[in-house]
Amino acid sequence: MAETKNMILNMGPQHPSTHGVLRLILELDGETVVKLTPEIGYLHRGVEKLGENLTYHQFIPLTDREDYIASLSNNLAYCMTVEKLLGLEVPPRAMVARVLLTELQRIASHLIWLGTFGLDIGAMSLFFYCMREREQILDMFEACAGARLTINYFAIGGLRHDLPEGFETRVRDFIKIFPERMKNDYERIFQDNKIVRMRTEGVGIISKEDAIDLGLSGPLLRACGVPWDIRKSNPYCGYETYDFDIATGKVGDVFDRYLVRMEEMRQSLKIVQQALDRLPGGAHLADDPKVCLPPKQKVMTEMEALIHHFKIVSEGFEPPVGEVYHSIETPRGELGFYIVSDGSNKPYRLRFRPPSFVNLESLAKMSEGKLIGDLIAIIGALDPVMGEVDR
Amino acid sequence: MTEFVMIMLVKMFVIFGAVMLTMTYITLAERKILGYMQIRPGPNRVGPWGLLQPIADGIKLFLKEDIIPDKASKVVFVIAPAMALIPAVMTLAVIPFGPAVTIMGRQVDIYMADVNIGILYIFAVSSIGVYGIVLAGWSSASKYSLLGGLRSSAQMISYELSMGFALVGVIMMSQSLSMVKIIEAQKGVWFIVPQFFGFIIYITAAIAELNRTPFDLPEGESELVAGYFTEYSSMKYAMFMLGEYINIISVSGIVTTLYLGGWSGPILPPLAWFMIKLLAVVFFMIWVRATYPRFRYDQLMTFGWKVLLPASIANILFTPLLMWFFGYL
Amino acid sequence: MIKALAEGLSVTLKHMFKKRATVQYPEQRREYSPRFRGKHKLNRHEDGSEKCVGCYLCAVVCPANAIHLQAGENEQGKRYAEWYKIEMARCIYCGFCVDACPVEALDMTGFYEMSCYSRDGLVYEKKDLLVPMPGDITQKHEVVISKEGEPVLTPTVSR
Repeated sequence: MAETKNMILNMGPQHPSTHGVLRLILELDGETVVKLTPEIGYLHRGVEKLGENLTYHQFIPLTDREDYIASLSNNLAYCMTVEKLLGLEVPPRAMVARVLLTELQRIASHLIWLGTFGLDIGAMSLFFYCMREREQILDMFEACAGARLTINYFAIGGLRHDLPEGFETRVRDFIKIFPERMKNDYERIFQDNKIVRMRTEGVGIISKEDAIDLGLSGPLLRACGVPWDIRKSNPYCGYETYDFDIATGKVGDVFDRYLVRMEEMRQSLKIVQQALDRLPGGAHLADDPKVCLPPKQKVMTEMEALIHHFKIVSEGFEPPVGEVYHSIETPRGELGFYIVSDGSNKPYRLRFRPPSFVNLESLAKMSEGKLIGDLIAIIGALDPVMGEVDR
Repeated sequence: MTEFVMIMLVKMFVIFGAVMLTMTYITLAERKILGYMQIRPGPNRVGPWGLLQPIADGIKLFLKEDIIPDKASKVVFVIAPAMALIPAVMTLAVIPFGPAVTIMGRQVDIYMADVNIGILYIFAVSSIGVYGIVLAGWSSASKYSLLGGLRSSAQMISYELSMGFALVGVIMMSQSLSMVKIIEAQKGVWFIVPQFFGFIIYITAAIAELNRTPFDLPEGESELVAGYFTEYSSMKYAMFMLGEYINIISVSGIVTTLYLGGWSGPILPPLAWFMIKLLAVVFFMIWVRATYPRFRYDQLMTFGWKVLLPASIANILFTPLLMWFFGYL
Repeated sequence: MIKALAEGLSVTLKHMFKKRATVQYPEQRREYSPRFRGKHKLNRHEDGSEKCVGCYLCAVVCPANAIHLQAGENEQGKRYAEWYKIEMARCIYCGFCVDACPVEALDMTGFYEMSCYSRDGLVYEKKDLLVPMPGDITQKHEVVISKEGEPVLTPTVSR
């Protein structure tokens, strides 16, 4: 009687469906996954070390490139952490605009997730429909900031430039068409389809206790039934004044994660509507002369503004000695920044707590004992972005 | 005698040539239709509307380097694509494209042969096609290909049963195995009406046989790269693709003959009707590919054995009742 | 269940007749806003002299160390940049240099087709970045949209 050994399969870094450069070493017994070892680090760029040699202001574009699918969320987390360190107050117009743009970014990120999830499972057409809506959102970002993907629009103290003209009309047009697109295009082709249900229901279940033990956050945690959303539990940027619900699932399988994210898109649209209605006038950047760049007209005419401009651009500012941690709710979960400042103009230590890194650890638990076909659906619903896992 | 041989030779070349041409343009049609359904234009750079794209693809495949892996069993590796292509082409011999027409004073039927065991012949020959896939997967010395080949062949064998049982209903209603006689038996009403469930079962099983979405897990890119033809390149790969698309045409031809009334229809010549119906079935298959996700492998096998097979047997049991209702008895 | 399957098919069929979303590049191009962060340009005053004063602020603020320059004095005794280099391959197109410039000498245009055949071709000197003299038609240039939304000229770089 010959002995059988389990087969070791390498779902390598280049693979059409591992969402980036993730390497999975699978030990297979037939079709069943016996052991799964993820190997990461293929996209490591040393961002945290680079942060120690750049001033606080210069680091903002690097945060864009970590979770490159939802870059405004990264910007927001970093800017809010530094503002917390400095004790800086952001003007109301900037706060509302930040909420508006971050929620639009959440919708854009979930659209990519939905498209690639459908693509992994085999429903190719859904990807193109999602991208069509995402293009509209990216065009809005491009009108504000000048870039579509690495947006770099928030500055420490508010927004870099004011919102452009015609922005409100564009957002209102988008709000008008999006719910109907969601219902007619995405749900009709995907949600009630029997094949999709068979591939996603009961797959990749994780219990509430396990989810909390592993430190999951974001839609994965909410799909298990835990109503934890940082926008409600530790509100920032005025989120406590907006009216929205937290989407929770029941079972914690892949289909619940799909439902949670679809519901999140609808709630985000609701927040965008409210933010647009209450957008006040006023300054878009705080008035602190030591931290925020003065407006160009003043720099070219007033001496004091010129001196502040030179000082801020060349040396930056020196925050007080101390450490601070601040986290926000990104489309993937809890994104946190931990900054240790030693009083100089460059941070002493800058740590980025990525949600996908912590969520990825639950992959082994969710997929051991299941089939390979399930693994693809599970990774799709996990929505990892390797830029933030590896930093 | 020589006249007969001459006519047969001409028919052979014409039918083979026409099917090859249609097949290459069906590859283009698939890409364009998929594109339009996905709000993009599909190939449109090579020639107007991409009409020269299949020629460009053919030239590209000819000129690619032919790689045979070191550890592969060379003889089997080279024969396997042929074993997948030849049965596909052989089934074209009995598909009735049109009735007898008078060309240059002679009666010529627009099909190669009307064997009186037509359907049985088709089944026998297409089952040989499975060998091509098994041998391809086994002879390329690679884990991925072996797994893909085994899965593919298991899938094809399972769904052949349902296909066969679904056709028994049609055979009962027409009381003949010959393709031409089945078309003539549909003079009253096309068999799709009484045999609607048989039609659905047959089309589903046929899409599974062809390894197309939603049953294309063995060659789904998100999984084991490309399944049984991972290691093939250049013309051998082209032969697999040719085999697949010619299979699509012949399966569509069979569906048209058995369920959609073959060449019958008003006004237009019968050959035109046949082609229209055939292309409609091909369009349906492409449409399904654009819309549905794929089954997981165990769900695929469960579906084939536990759902489709009992349904097709139930269809056989119900057919006498339908025959009585529609006046065939 | 059959209804759901049929609905899925109807969605794809409906989209077959809608307008295609593809932009047929290079015959058509997307339209970008005036704030688009593309290739840089160095501005001139109305009389033709360069606006750049060689203050080094753009080089200091660049997170990627992509800008290099050397300040000097021209014949009139005015401070200017003797040579000015931006390495486009290092640049991360964040736009901080534009924010940092105190005399509005540096701008970003809407031009993005900067591919070339060698790494050296992506190091842009002053001659590649300075806008042409007002009224000069001899230098080859492209028309791009400036920050204010008007068309403006930027030099063509041919390597």
